[in-house]
Amino acid sequence: MATEFHNLQELRHSASLVTKVFIQRDYSEGTVCRFQTKFPSELDNRIERTLLEETVKTLNSYYAEAEKIGGQSYLEGCLACATAYIIFLCMETRYEKVLRKISGYIQEQNEKIYAPRGLLITDPIERGMRVLEISLFEDRGSGGSSPSSSMSSGSSAR
Amino acid sequence: MPASGADSLKPSAFIPVCTAACLLVGSTSLFFVFTCPWLAVTICPAVPPCCAILFLFVLANFTMATFMDAGVLPMASEDEDKDDEFRAPLYKNVDVKGVQVRMKWCASCHFYRPPRCSHCSVCDHCVEDFDHHCPWVNNCIGRRNYRYFFLFLLSLTFHMIGVFSFGLIYVLHHMDDLWKLHCTVTLVVISISGLFLIPVLGLTGFHFYLVSRGRTTNEQVTGKFQGGVNPFTRGCCNNLEYLVCSPISPKYTARPCKKTVIHIQPPFLRPETDRQTPVKARDNGIQSRDLQNKRPSTGAVELSDIKQQKTPPPLPPKPDHSLLKSQVAAMDEMGHHTKSIIPVSIPTVPQLRPVLEAISRGSSPIPPEQLLKTSEQQGNTRGPDLRSESRESPVSHQAGLPVQPLLQAGAASSSLQLNSLTLNSRSLTLKHSGRHGSKSHLSAVHADGLGSNPPPGIISSSSLLANHSSSSSSLPYDNLINPADPQFISQRGAPSVSYHPHFMSLGTDGAVQRPPAHTYSPVFMGVSRHSPQPRDLSPSLQGLTSRDPSPSFQGFIQRDSSPAFQGLMPRDLATQSVSSRDVPPPGVVMRDLTSQSLRDSLRDLVPQELTPPKSAAARYDNFSKTIMASLHERRELEERERMLRLQARSQALYGPDMGIYDIPSRRSLPPDNIRPAGSRGPTPPAYGSREFLMSTGILGYGMRTSPLSSSSTSSLTRGPKTSSSPLQSGSSSSLQSKGRSSSPAYCPPERQTQGLPSSTSTLPRLFPSNASTTSPYTSYATTKRSSLLYSSEGKDSVTLGALK
Repeated sequence: MATEFHNLQELRHSASLVTKVFIQRDYSEGTVCRFQTKFPSELDNRIERTLLEETVKTLNSYYAEAEKIGGQSYLEGCLACATAYIIFLCMETRYEKVLRKISGYIQEQNEKIYAPRGLLITDPIERGMRVLEISLFEDRGSGGSSPSSSMSSGSSAR
Repeated sequence: MPASGADSLKPSAFIPVCTAACLLVGSTSLFFVFTCPWLAVTICPAVPPCCAILFLFVLANFTMATFMDAGVLPMASEDEDKDDEFRAPLYKNVDVKGVQVRMKWCASCHFYRPPRCSHCSVCDHCVEDFDHHCPWVNNCIGRRNYRYFFLFLLSLTFHMIGVFSFGLIYVLHHMDDLWKLHCTVTLVVISISGLFLIPVLGLTGFHFYLVSRGRTTNEQVTGKFQGGVNPFTRGCCNNLEYLVCSPISPKYTARPCKKTVIHIQPPFLRPETDRQTPVKARDNGIQSRDLQNKRPSTGAVELSDIKQQKTPPPLPPKPDHSLLKSQVAAMDEMGHHTKSIIPVSIPTVPQLRPVLEAISRGSSPIPPEQLLKTSEQQGNTRGPDLRSESRESPVSHQAGLPVQPLLQAGAASSSLQLNSLTLNSRSLTLKHSGRHGSKSHLSAVHADGLGSNPPPGIISSSSLLANHSSSSSSLPYDNLINPADPQFISQRGAPSVSYHPHFMSLGTDGAVQRPPAHTYSPVFMGVSRHSPQPRDLSPSLQGLTSRDPSPSFQGFIQRDSSPAFQGLMPRDLATQSVSSRDVPPPGVVMRDLTSQSLRDSLRDLVPQELTPPKSAAARYDNFSKTIMASLHERRELEERERMLRLQARSQALYGPDMGIYDIPSRRSLPPDNIRPAGSRGPTPPAYGSREFLMSTGILGYGMRTSPLSSSSTSSLTRGPKTSSSPLQSGSSSSLQSKGRSSSPAYCPPERQTQGLPSSTSTLPRLFPSNASTTSPYTSYATTKRSSLLYSSEGKDSVTLGALK
């Protein structure tokens, strides 16, 4: 019992931020918002390449959609002109809408994929769309940062 | 209007925008009130409504251009900054549609500016797609509001044309009663609109041209794509389309922050361990061991990995280390004081104070043992600085001491430490210098050169460092005894990073303490990332290792060297001088020499790089403003005093007719006294400057008609002359040649100088007054100021020498 209690306590590990990895913008297409899909080496043993690449590609597609010059953006512009830009007080621009979508997507990705791996993606908009910041967390458990403690807790919990 | 980056909203910034607004609104209102009724009746009732709509459009665009965020990029967080520290060239190249575009490091915002981004100095922030800062709207024009600005210009042009033409029609129809109120007002309105129509039309046309070419005003003005291809253009039509129809990009600053909390709880999944976890749970023994073999400790692994990535590339291999060890051994042998491997740093004034006090206590020469003891005490308590100093004293006994090999031995050995020091300090420096908006990027340059160099580069740079570090303490000694080994002198421009150790409690453990940022700023003046004006170099790597150190940097470093230190060193050495037992004078002269030589080098270097002392001064941004102000004040004061004294001196020497300033004590001295007038103690309190005494001493030498003095004179002139051209060519071996020529030449007259010991009594007066605070920063600033004074004095004394 004492062991179990001890293991329960050990189970309550906390994570500490170790470092941040920055995925830079990809300017090969100009100033449109794109992030590099190059896999950072620091994440080699933290997450599968495919997962991260998938995330980045999805984000890039979202941004491309937001910045697309087409019918909707033209209409928006005309409307804004016509109302002497008062419409901006009432309505959300398309870009903002897409940004909200992006933010939700990042949140979901964080919850499902990244947090279980001790990672956290920060919305690029908070960094001025310059970088995609991925925070690396490490196990800073009371039993030390070795998996033995978690293993022992896992094994004892059995 | 968005608040400027600085918190002070200057009222003067609002004058143009208020003027523009008043003129616009005022004249248009007058137009509507006085002219439009007649127009509606006579020409067409639709005229006023159209004009009104147009005016509304103008106002709306004006408001948007004025109040809309131009696309301000928020400052980078500290973590992001850290990422770039170890490989921090000023520019980063990026490929945009096949064209290489340079991204410049923004020292204020701590990131590499995206393409087309620029830092607005008025607003003190980086703006995306920066066009220009418009005073008429008191706002930056950038990505988000360029459209509104352009439309404002367009609509304003049309509006002004409309107002002008309708007003003209009105006036032409009312020529007979021109002085009626309505007519007069209309006249005024059309004159205003006609007057401002020309520039507005010009500006509109200019921006039309820019849009068609796909350039920003900034790019046009700086001629970025003048000759080459503009990768940002999409063709004329698409550019216009982009201008009008593109979606408004979002605001980056002051965003509503709706953060949802995400819990990150270990244990963490790992790419390969996902399927092994159940095994782990089942088996307690073997599998866990295997897992551990694979991933010994996730935490440890990650940390070690991260650490490896974080730490700079491994330092060069053994030779340096052995050399360092040998140097350490040598230094131990020399002084028996070496406790730390860090060989040199600038001795700060607090460290020097006991020595200075010891010196000042007796105008008579201080026995070397006492000096040694003092410095030893000091060094033991304070750090390696004085130890290296005092170490040099006994060394001077042996004229033929193989300084070079020892120092060289120590060079590489220290290089190891210095490298890590450098790298660690660089990170700090860059961060802090950047934080303080330092404008010199050479620290990054240097740091980069040190840190991210391939091993050969590291070795060279480390040896550079080491040599410099060892030479910085031994330089005076070198000049005297072993007239400057070229490699030491040549590497004088080595980064001042070697000076860091003094301020950093740091070791090779990688832990970097964080002394106050400003402690580093002076040192890193030349070493931070911001580009000084003359530098348009490719990344630092070449900048420092393969090339001569940047002249500005070098000059800065030279300036940096503590004159007190240098001044004392030769003096100390001379007190135990080999041949002559004229202890104070040789020391004094030696100090003159070394400082002279250094001044010469400084002087010669000044044209090269300190030509904008303001660039160096710009690097003083990291200094606290008060210190800088006091520095400059002090410098000016000293210069004035010096000029005064020199004139007084010349007056004393050549007769009262030349005198401008009445300096009684000068007159008391016979003009053709062999001894320099300043040799007698009384003057120091009056003039309070060691530099003055030395300059008068030198002047005395220069003015002497005695053979000794003539020889010294000739040596004086020879010194600068020999050094000037090589120095101007940028070679630092000139120092060596100068040292060589100076040191023997100055030996004879050294006996004449007797005033300098007393002059050193001014030192405590000079320094303690400024080194009242014991912070190394202040003392460093003090020493720096002294070095500045030295440089200015150096020029003067050289000029005097040249007069002969």
